[in-house]
Amino acid sequence: MTSVEEAEPSGFQRVVLTNASPYQYLKIRLVLEDERSRLSDVELKSFIIAGLKSLHGEVGAALNFDVLKYDEESLTALLRVYSRGLVKLWSSLTLQGFYQNQACAFRVLQVSRFTGISSLEEPLIYLLFHVTQKKRISHFPHYCHPLP
Amino acid sequence: MVRVKSRYLLCEVNVSNRSDLLLLDDRAVAAAVKAAVARMHGDYGAALCSIRFSVKYLNAHTGIVFLRFPKRCYKLLWSALPFITSIESRRLTIPCFLNCLHVGGTIRTCQKFLVRYNTKQLHRMLPKCKTEEEKQQVRQAILSCCLPGGNKEELEDDLESEEDEEDEEE
Repeated sequence: MTSVEEAEPSGFQRVVLTNASPYQYLKIRLVLEDERSRLSDVELKSFIIAGLKSLHGEVGAALNFDVLKYDEESLTALLRVYSRGLVKLWSSLTLQGFYQNQACAFRVLQVSRFTGISSLEEPLIYLLFHVTQKKRISHFPHYCHPLP
Repeated sequence: MVRVKSRYLLCEVNVSNRSDLLLLDDRAVAAAVKAAVARMHGDYGAALCSIRFSVKYLNAHTGIVFLRFPKRCYKLLWSALPFITSIESRRLTIPCFLNCLHVGGTIRTCQKFLVRYNTKQLHRMLPKCKTEEEKQQVRQAILSCCLPGGNKEELEDDLESEEDEEDEEE
């Protein structure tokens, strides 16, 4: 349950989560050895599924995830996955080494529970989230330090 | 010191043709389990399966198997067992499935369970004997294998084979 309300004209956006969001969002970039080669969104998804299948088998290949946004020019994609599948998806992305016999790598740019929020704003949102949830903040998660 | 903990799965191998059971050996079962885990859970599962997995015991007469899994990942490995549909042994493919009867922390508890389970089965089957003669036969067979000072496990195995005969008679 998310309610978004535009409060001030200054662009301030208030996001209130009454229960934890079930998804995690990953912003990734695919780095290929041959920088001119491009791949479509369907190819990207099938490539990720192939990686999941080799590392986590058929159980992994059945994992639900979505490619929400994909930019073919920069090979950057925004993935959405259920929180419980995050570790599987992330680990298979990390171990993906070859795309059609050329070396490749996935760079995970940002991992977040919210979408459309820059990495600088995230610690604030995280704080707000915990205050509204009345949870004790024991530590800041890694994503509160913006990744390069 | 703390001992390294494992989980022992007591499974029975179900085959359509009972004589196929004699073709089984522990390496064939281990290979089948590993293949199933690798298919269902990929490289990750295969790696978990290579750490401390072993087939501890296989009774080719009754089709009872003890599988040992590391405690921390036994659920994951267990989840792949239903996907075993055949075991390849001596260049023959035996269609079968594994039925898990008990999960224990030690071989001892599994063995105790097995003895209890078999007596229960026997109690279930004895009333099904149609003639007094059949009952007598079963009793005789059980008595004949109760060797004085005999190994308990042997007794248990024999008990199981009695049951099998029972099965065939029915």
